[in-house]
Amino acid sequence: MAPPSGLHQSAIPSDFETPFPPLMRSSTVPALTSHRADPSHLAPEDAYSSFSPPRRSGDFDSRGNGSGTDSRPGRIRHKDASRSRSRRRKRFQKLLWVKQSYPDNYTDQATFLENLQRNPRVRPYDFWPLVADSTVIVQHVCSVIIFVVCFVGIFQERSQGGSADEDARARMIRDGRAYREYRPPRRQDSLGLEQSSMLNASTVSISSASNLPSAASSTSNLLQDHHQPQRPFHPLGSSTGNSGLLVPAHAHSRSVSSVNSMASQASAANSPTTTRLGPDGPHHGPTGSPTARNSRVYVRLSTIKSAILIYFTLLGLSPILKSLTRSTSSDSIWAMSFWLLAINVFFFDYSGSAAAATATTGTTHSKQMPVASLSTNAALMASTVLASRLPSTGQVFSLTLFSIEVFGLFPVFRQYARHRSWRYHVVLTVLLVLGAGAGVGMILGDERGWPWKKGLLGMVVGCLIAALALGGCSWWLIGLQKYKNEIYGPWDPARPIIISRRHWDDE
Amino acid sequence: MAPTYNIAMVSDFFFPQPGGVESHIYQLSSKLRDRGHKVIIITHAYKGRTGVRYLTNGLKVYHVPFFVLYRSASFPTVFSFFPIFRNIILRERIDIVHGHASLSSLCHEAILHARTMGLRTVYTDHSLFGFADAASIFANKLLKFSLSDVDHVICVSHTCKENTVLRASLDPLMVSAIPNAVVAENFKPLDYTEPPPRSFPAHHPLPARPLGPHDMITIVVISRLFYNKGTDLLTAAIPRILENHPNTRFIIAGDGPKAIDLEQMIEQNVLQDRVEMLGPIRHEEVRDVMVRGHIYLHPSLTEAFGTVIVEAASCGLYVVCTQVGGIPEVLPSHMTVFAKPEEDDLVTATGRAIAALRANKVRTELFHEQVKSMYSWTNVAMRTERVYNGISGAISEAEFYGYDAANGAGSSWSAARGRSGVQSFALIDRLKRYYGCGIWAGKLFCLCVIVDYLIFLALELWFPRDKIDICPDWPRKERKVGGKDAG
Repeated sequence: MAPPSGLHQSAIPSDFETPFPPLMRSSTVPALTSHRADPSHLAPEDAYSSFSPPRRSGDFDSRGNGSGTDSRPGRIRHKDASRSRSRRRKRFQKLLWVKQSYPDNYTDQATFLENLQRNPRVRPYDFWPLVADSTVIVQHVCSVIIFVVCFVGIFQERSQGGSADEDARARMIRDGRAYREYRPPRRQDSLGLEQSSMLNASTVSISSASNLPSAASSTSNLLQDHHQPQRPFHPLGSSTGNSGLLVPAHAHSRSVSSVNSMASQASAANSPTTTRLGPDGPHHGPTGSPTARNSRVYVRLSTIKSAILIYFTLLGLSPILKSLTRSTSSDSIWAMSFWLLAINVFFFDYSGSAAAATATTGTTHSKQMPVASLSTNAALMASTVLASRLPSTGQVFSLTLFSIEVFGLFPVFRQYARHRSWRYHVVLTVLLVLGAGAGVGMILGDERGWPWKKGLLGMVVGCLIAALALGGCSWWLIGLQKYKNEIYGPWDPARPIIISRRHWDDE
Repeated sequence: MAPTYNIAMVSDFFFPQPGGVESHIYQLSSKLRDRGHKVIIITHAYKGRTGVRYLTNGLKVYHVPFFVLYRSASFPTVFSFFPIFRNIILRERIDIVHGHASLSSLCHEAILHARTMGLRTVYTDHSLFGFADAASIFANKLLKFSLSDVDHVICVSHTCKENTVLRASLDPLMVSAIPNAVVAENFKPLDYTEPPPRSFPAHHPLPARPLGPHDMITIVVISRLFYNKGTDLLTAAIPRILENHPNTRFIIAGDGPKAIDLEQMIEQNVLQDRVEMLGPIRHEEVRDVMVRGHIYLHPSLTEAFGTVIVEAASCGLYVVCTQVGGIPEVLPSHMTVFAKPEEDDLVTATGRAIAALRANKVRTELFHEQVKSMYSWTNVAMRTERVYNGISGAISEAEFYGYDAANGAGSSWSAARGRSGVQSFALIDRLKRYYGCGIWAGKLFCLCVIVDYLIFLALELWFPRDKIDICPDWPRKERKVGGKDAG
């Protein structure tokens, strides 16, 4: 309640010695007592819903003049009623400097809790947008499932180590390139390749032949076709999208380097390349100029170099990884990897690059970083631990490489796809759900039967579960909204609005 | 003759630590002693300050040895305080236990034990809490536990009252809003002469200090430099204020983590000659700093009462403050310019204040007398005494809570939430009150209360009351009968 803003208001009432009047309970107890189970507990809606700031002052005044409450000390103060404010002062004021004629525990019906706000910033959710937003979670869960399925497949000796190894070799080079090139058109191209190789990997490692790669390659073709007309637009650099995309990549580069340094003494040549990854992206010039072409060649060369480095590092590490946890029992490994993957799923940064790009202050980036890297590191740790259960070096190598793709590169690609077009996002989600369902179906099916039947059954069940989970959880969340009860009032710390950040932002 | 009481003030926060709560307890106790009550203070042991101490005016302070957790709040051990607390209470023949500050676990434990021992309890809340974050939810639950069985609650402002009522699900009638006060004698303006009595305010002897259009206007900021004191706003606003208004300067006193931001701002804008940073100052020096200025700027983001703006006004400064928390209730509008907690509005409001001062529209030389008549600790002690009278039944329930028996009101207020006269000490009634705290919390709290009661019985058995010496009282003051007794 703001006092009137007159500068001259020298009248200070000083008559606080008047005896406190007997109060009617009806005038002090909150009015809405009917619907409450326990009247002794003041529910917020009591004060909130019944009174609004243009309150019943007229009513109050009339009661003050009426006979019922004439015992109020207004009578006494009529002696100095020369001031015109004396009538107004009969009313309770939510001020401390005024000497009120009310007892200290007087609770004014009209003004008590008048500034209370309930749920002021609540936006009701809509069903379909909520479902659409939660597909991000489904995507991530599905990619984790695919990873686990691949591990189980390798572990059950369903796949030949050789083919996985060959495939991993091919993937490594492409992904390294994908990873190095941040410029959206090139990146998309290579990421499309990556995706096809991803699906390749998942299918190859489960069964030798499938029709999925064609679908995947068609997807990548789609991607390429789509970005062709937009090519001149992107290099000019919508800086927001770029910087947004950089965030998870940074996290990833950090985690990759940490994996490297954790597992072995990463070669000195490796670390500069990985650290240089971040600044590389924004420095690209336009594609047309020859210098840009030169730099592109250079970037590609260095990409291949670092890819080879990572490749050989991993290859060298694989025998060590293989015997890393030999003395640990398998149960511990399963439990540990379960928890690590759970950490990955729960701490994953689902907000995506779009949110990070729209965030205005720089602090959000630094806030999101540790969480994202915690998630990625947990997943890589899980994959390392899982890989150490595998019998052969080639399998260890393949699984570790695959995990880097799934947990490091693939989220970047997913974010990019979502950022780029809604259709890609949906297609990717469907593919992931189908792939995960089929994988689980084939893993759960026994060896004897024809695995495709189980795979198809798995796809159907996976789709059903995904649909149920998406719809059910969204519906549930919407249903839970009615329990939302946020209370805001003048006691909350104010949020300062500071505009001139000019002195601080340029550092 | 109104009754006098033996009162124990319990809080973690007391001298030698400086602060608002500490001085509140000291001033209130001192004035209550002046009114003929016996007051002791129970706090935890500070470094170099242990055992029993006497302060000025015969105020007795017990420093109970306790492990200090964080910022001199003691470690919450629900029951370990009970034996020594009971000993002190019996030794001093205490009737009323008065706890202070919501972050003091000593206070909450004392209220619980005092109710177990069958004493009247009062609690004073000095701070505001939100409802949003997890820490607040936890703190609010604990407050609910502690205040489920309290007799009366005092809050320092109406906003604080609303907040406490919501946080602890209290009946608003058992919450009183009694403001803090200032010792006006300690905050006099620079060229202040005691006015002859009864000449206020029409023809005041003090000459107004007219400000010329080019006189330097000094803006004073005294606050701990924390986020919730609005130092970010201050940092953003100072360059703009100084840019818009030549012949102004800032004096900033206080220390804190945001001081570095301020210094950086000063260096970046090259304002060294117009912004003076004094660093941390003692409370006694506040007045000396304040009287150097014309405007007091208070950019706080949350504030239950804001004693410092009253002190500033008492020193004859025109106050510019953000309109948050209980601040709008504290001072009349002719002493203040309110701003929204936004950088732009703060700059504009300060501009308005400077313009008003330059136009000599504000009679700042009158502020001291006015503040002196608004806030005094004697008045606070009187109002607190009325609370004591109300809970101990010296003034009738109907008069204190303001409902008539004919209304049949007693029926709707169940036994679980009785009134002062009927606030039952029976364990089963107390358990009823605690049980309503929540599905799980209610049961947990009931368990705590039962254990507390068992400890009480065991203590009665092991350390019988008649074995505890009664401590001789410091000679009580004659009760001042100034004819201004509201109770």
